[in-house]
Amino acid sequence: MPSEKLQIRNHIRRLRFEHAEMSQEELGKRAGVTRHTIMALEARKYFPSLLLAFRIARAFGVGVEQVFEYAENGDRGISDQKSA
Amino acid sequence: MTDPEKWAVWTLGVVALTTAAYFIFVALRGHGPQAMSVFALTALAALPKNGHRSWRSLDERERQIAHKALLTSYWAGWLAAITLSFIIWRVNGWDIAFALPMWKLMLALWWLGTLMLAVRSITTLVLYRRGSNA
Repeated sequence: MPSEKLQIRNHIRRLRFEHAEMSQEELGKRAGVTRHTIMALEARKYFPSLLLAFRIARAFGVGVEQVFEYAENGDRGISDQKSA
Repeated sequence: MTDPEKWAVWTLGVVALTTAAYFIFVALRGHGPQAMSVFALTALAALPKNGHRSWRSLDERERQIAHKALLTSYWAGWLAAITLSFIIWRVNGWDIAFALPMWKLMLALWWLGTLMLAVRSITTLVLYRRGSNA
């Protein structure tokens, strides 16, 4: 059974490229964290606090649900279902 | 590699150096209160500038890792103390009374501190590589 924590997905990498290929360093500066933390987020090695999640969403100018999503076991995720 | 990881690697090196220096000292000069002097080497752990970052300068992930590493080192220290007590109880029973020279007590505390430093460093490295949610 997969860990509950592993069910939180994010679209940070895609959003960075959609925003003029924003670097991890730049996103880190805007969100107030280090580049290494952005790397860990993209690799799903770290799941952010609510505050950091909102900061990252604000850096992209989108809602937090467009950056992070929760998916049930075997689920493709909320945003994937919408786009399907 | 992040600053806390660099500090952890440096500190593990300091622990290894201190341990090696202790056994070399004991082999050359014998076991005694002088052997405690080698633990002055642990002060080297405070040398790197990247190890001096204040709590405020760390972001939330770095703080989480630092917190977990510190807690793990306390847990290791507690476990070591309990294990030692358990061994003494099994070997000598509850009624044993000690007349312990002060230097031996201090030596035990130095080793405990060195163990905690090593555990803190290893935990820091593991959490940075595997992720702090584990």
